[in-house]
Amino acid sequence: MISVPPSQSHALKQWVAEMDGVARRQDRECFMRIYDHFMPRLCRYLSGLGAPPVVAEDLAQEAMLKLWNGAERYDPARSGLGTWLYRVARNLHIDRVRREHIWVHAQDVVDQAAEHDVQQDSLAELHAEQVRLRQCLGELSAAQARLIRMSYFEAKTHTEIAKELGMPLGTVKSHLRRAFLQLQSSMGEQR
Amino acid sequence: MSPRHHLDPATVLGFAAGSLGPEMSVVASVHMESCGHCRQQLRLAERIGGLLLDQQACPVPGKDTQAALRQAMVDKLDRIPASIAGQGLPLMGASSARDDADRLPAALQPHFGSSYRSLKWNWMAPGVHCIRAPGLPSLMMIKIAPGTSLPIHSHGNGELTQVLQGAYDDALGHFAPGDAADLGDDVEHQPVTTPGVACICVCALDAPLVFRGWIARKLQKVLNL
Repeated sequence: MISVPPSQSHALKQWVAEMDGVARRQDRECFMRIYDHFMPRLCRYLSGLGAPPVVAEDLAQEAMLKLWNGAERYDPARSGLGTWLYRVARNLHIDRVRREHIWVHAQDVVDQAAEHDVQQDSLAELHAEQVRLRQCLGELSAAQARLIRMSYFEAKTHTEIAKELGMPLGTVKSHLRRAFLQLQSSMGEQR
Repeated sequence: MSPRHHLDPATVLGFAAGSLGPEMSVVASVHMESCGHCRQQLRLAERIGGLLLDQQACPVPGKDTQAALRQAMVDKLDRIPASIAGQGLPLMGASSARDDADRLPAALQPHFGSSYRSLKWNWMAPGVHCIRAPGLPSLMMIKIAPGTSLPIHSHGNGELTQVLQGAYDDALGHFAPGDAADLGDDVEHQPVTTPGVACICVCALDAPLVFRGWIARKLQKVLNL
């Protein structure tokens, strides 16, 4: 099971206020509070993806600098701060460590198309959704949780997961599909 | 364009996690470029990533390393002129060329160029032409003449196809521009292109196709499919 420590439930609005301080006043105290929370998490995420420790630290620092430099354009209605940093760190890893520039271009294309998508979630809705999602992550079956971890934290392809676990490819996909649909339904999205 | 056939949720999740192969990522992004539904799914999958990032316990760097990194960050902030702040995120404008009928989807342009008219098709089989992406042999564009029936086949590990022009039908339904066929290794199908217009698709194959008939299998060796 994926553990869900309740002590880490930083309210979205706290990060919105800190980001506002960074954007409007270039407030370093606000920034360093964000830094202290996310920096170790970014390092751990990037190390898990296979980056050597020094590289993971460099990329995590770079992600945080992007946040400092881009705070004015951060839009809390589009994504939570954790999601924003997750995307930046993931892309940095793919670009610098895996050197798959093709992938980064593909990501940019989708981002550009998404610029005009309507985002209707209020902060309160996003917060409620995050609480439900957190709970739902904790309720995934052991097999689902393992595959979700291997996808997100080890960036393993479906084929690699199938080989490593000795599982048919179709089973890997159906586990991930069910897990994703389950998590979606916790976020109020029905397919 | 309002697609009726979407990406498998497992593919969207793989894209969000950065765990799809490059070829699959290119084709998935072609689909998502024109599919608001799958972009919404992607947004949700990335929120899962954000939450997983936030939930991680125990910091990796030791206390001394953390302190050194923190000081290094403070020093960096000292050196950044105020005027640079705000330049970290790229501005993204809408592509004015998106509606140009001759223009390839943006995700394909680094691999195949920007114009359908300029594509240099290679003969593959009667009624079938293809172009493989340089450096990415399992990413290819395929042009199939109108009213052509392909041999019945399945896919070694799976296939992701996005229809760009024309259309085809198989047992799974009618696939028109904007539709994705995200097929597992257990799917066997026989696409038949719609009469009138050539069907142009972009495909990512994880493994070679598996043809049922012996003639098609012999042909496969010749065609290097």
